Order: sequence, then structure tokens, then C-alpha cells
Amino acid sequence: MSIEVKNLTKSFKDKTVLDNVSFKVDDGEILAVVGLSGAGKSTILKLICGLTKPDSGEIIVSEGDIAMVFQYSALFDSLNVYENIAFALKERKEFKKKYSEDQIKEIVAKNLKTVGLEGIENKMPHELSGGMQKRVSFARAIVTNPSTILYDEATAGLDPVSSTIIEDYIVRLRNELNATSIIVTHQLSTIKRCADKVIMLYNEKIVYQGTPQDMIEGGNEYTRQFVTASIEGPMKAASSD
Amino acid sequence: MTSFAKLFKQSATYNLGKLLALQLEDFFETLGEIGIRFWHVLRLIARGKLNWRHIIEQCSRFAVDSLPITLSIVGMTCIIIAMQVAPEMVKQGGEKYVGALMAITITRELGAIMSGFAIISMIGSAYASEVATMRVTEQIDALKVLKVDPIEYLFVPRVVAGFIMMPVVVIFSSTIGLICGGVASFLSAHVSKLNYISSVWQGLFIKDINVALLKSSFFGAAIALISCVCGYLAYGGAKGVGLATTKAVVWSFVAIAIIDYIIAAIFFF
Repeated sequence: MSIEVKNLTKSFKDKTVLDNVSFKVDDGEILAVVGLSGAGKSTILKLICGLTKPDSGEIIVSEGDIAMVFQYSALFDSLNVYENIAFALKERKEFKKKYSEDQIKEIVAKNLKTVGLEGIENKMPHELSGGMQKRVSFARAIVTNPSTILYDEATAGLDPVSSTIIEDYIVRLRNELNATSIIVTHQLSTIKRCADKVIMLYNEKIVYQGTPQDMIEGGNEYTRQFVTASIEGPMKAASSD
Repeated sequence: MTSFAKLFKQSATYNLGKLLALQLEDFFETLGEIGIRFWHVLRLIARGKLNWRHIIEQCSRFAVDSLPITLSIVGMTCIIIAMQVAPEMVKQGGEKYVGALMAITITRELGAIMSGFAIISMIGSAYASEVATMRVTEQIDALKVLKVDPIEYLFVPRVVAGFIMMPVVVIFSSTIGLICGGVASFLSAHVSKLNYISSVWQGLFIKDINVALLKSSFFGAAIALISCVCGYLAYGGAKGVGLATTKAVVWSFVAIAIIDYIIAAIFFF
């Protein structure tokens, strides 16, 4: 078992965001987390990678690094692309001892090649397009060979072609690193192309768990409303915020 | 009762009370966070978690970036003081004390406090907005996910740089202040150069210089720490960054006034 979430509950001030949520993701599996805005999808990722603590419940993650690709890339804007990708290798003790400057250069070049962005080491983040920034953040995330990768709306705000490129990287990274992945997304294309399993959140709870195919073709009343993007249905956008 | 409660909730008294409560909550939250982060920074320094490359970068930024504005502010203030004081002192026959007065004023108070104000506006505000932007754009979250301690990476180099470089800035600005005071005394009251210089020597005391340097080190560290903490507590978007910067400037002004008072009380009373 690579990631196991048991009876997770999380509130912010008076508002409960997650209530008794449980799910499992196996080694090398990609789980898509979907739901309306404010349903607690990003909170799940922040809980898994330790950015915030649960009120109750348990999160068991198998050994190894956890990487996260943020919605707006979160590249360090005072550092260039090379420094962004090499950041963990240069700042963390265990990597500082392990790699020389030349080796770090090689790793950065290899990772940039993996995401199809060779030769942009000296560019600053603001000189890159949204899609390129996202790919650089992929390269930064995988530099430590993580066993778990979390994607927070990795394709949000990108054009369809860039989205497809990102989706292909998600699958490729899983195949190459055998990393367990969780994708938070609103996009059906991402679910179809990448996910092995889907969970849907509404009103602090999981209202659907299944495969992408089942979700798109049948599922339940919640997934049908989500897939058809209908206003009519059990989910109300206003109440989820 | 219900309608009374409703009416009360709409009243100005209730809203004013609520606003005050929020302000108080924010005040104690910031104060508590400054205390916690101060302790955190001290612990990291004690454990030798010093990245000298980052510290040197911050030192150069702290001193080089702030120097033109600091020298201008201290220089101008000393010119104004000399222009107002020197003619009066000459009239009273105290020409030979003008330099001493300037030296005591600058070394005991003006050099450090005016440099502190300049540093707050130049460096403190920059630190706060930088850290706040990192907070609201999830860069601090990215640091944590990459298993890099944001306090060690962002706070420690800035606080150490402030502690080391502020006395350097104060030495330069005080020297410029004395020179500007001399020039202004000469131009406004014809105080001779020799009189002024010999008087300055009489007014310079080792204790004053040492206290000024110690005080400025505390000023530098406090400005850096408070600015980083205010940035770190930021939330929201552009408005959050703006509020964090304003808060950093206000808190830093108050902090250096308090530190100044404590040090003056310890060494001069």
C-alpha cells in the first residue's frame, strides 16, 4: 500500500472541509480527485504532504520523498530555471554530500530533457509561458526521485495542447519512476488519459469511488452531473464554497 | 431578546468592539509569531545552521542597497540640525561646542535611529513583500515540500546579515552625518573647520560608539526578523502582500524605538 488515508477530518475555523474521508492508492497507481471548487481536493494533497495537519484520522505514506506540482507552479521567482530544479539537491544535506556541482548540472539537464525543455537553464520563471513553468515545476518535483507525486490542478489554465503534453508527462513519470500519484483536477481529459482510479468529493465526503471509465459512462448522480457539467443535480456550487 | 440581539449586532458599538477584538487578535498573533520565530532562528544559529553563501548575498544587499538612501537621510538630518543649532550656539559663544554636540547627537542617537528608519523603508519593506509574495504564491509551501526549512532558508541569512551589516551602515552614515554637520555649521554660522574637528574629538566617547554599534546590531536583526515574520503571516493576494509590508514597517519602527529605549536605559541611566 503506497498511500492510505483513514477517517480523515479537517476543518478551517468553523467550516469542515473533510469529514471522515478514507481511500487507498496502490504503488504506481494514479488516483484522480475531483469535485466542485472548495470541496477539499487541494486540502487532501496538503494533508498528505504535511503542509497542514488533520484534525483527526491517519495518513500512511510509504517511504521515500513526496513531490508536489502546484497549481500555479510555485517556482522560486528569484532563481533561474537551473537553480529552481537544482534547489533541493543544493539545499538538502543528504544531496549536498551525494552530488558534485557537475553531477547536479547533469541531473538538471536530464530532467529538463525529460520535460522537453532543453537549454533554458538560464531563463527566469517570468520569461516562461504558463505551460513551460508547469513543466519546469515537474522537473523540479522529480529531481529527488520521489516515490509519491501530488499534482494540484496541473493542467488548469493551460490550452488543450499544453494540457495533453502535461497529461502525457504525468503518465510517463509514473511509468519511469513507478511513483504513486494523486491528481486533483476538474478536467475530464486528464481523468481519462491519466487516472487509474477516481474519487469524487462533495459536502466534505467521498460521494464516488471507481474507475474513470465507470465514472464517465455511468457512475452515480453526482458523477453524471459533473460529467455533463449540469446545473441540475444533487451538487450545488454555492453550498460547497 | 432576539430582536434586541439583532439590533445590537447592527450597532456601531458592536462593530467597533468587533474591530478592536480583531485588531487585538492580530496584534497578539504577530507578537507571538515574532517570539516563536526569534526562538527558532536563535536555535538554528546555535546549531550552526548558517549558509554563508546566502548570508553574504544578504549582507551585500543589506548594506549596498540601503547605503545611498541611508547616507542621504542621515546627511540631510545632520545638515538641518547643524543649520538650526550652530548659529544659536555661535551667538551664545559656544562655537567650540558645535562639533561636540553633533558628535554626541549622532553617535548616541541620530546615526543609529535614522539609519534604522532608512533600513526599514528600504530593506525591511523589501523583505516583507518578498516573503509575503512567496507565501501567497505557494513558494513557501514548495520549500516545505522540498524539505527545506523556510526559517533556515529565508529568516536566518537575513537576520544574521542585519545583525552584521547594520553597524557598518551606521558607521558610514554617522561619518557622513558628522561631515555634513561640519559643512552646514561652516556655511550657516562660519564655524571654522579646525574648531569643529577638535570639538568633534571632544564629543566622541568610546562608550557611545560601542553602544551605538551594539544598538544598531539589534536594530538590524530586529528589522530583518519582524519583516520576515510579517511577510510569513501574509495571506490572500496582492492586498495581503501590501498589508504585510505595512505591518512590517509599523512593527519595525515600534521595535527599534523600544530597543533604543531599553539600551539607553541600560547604558546611560
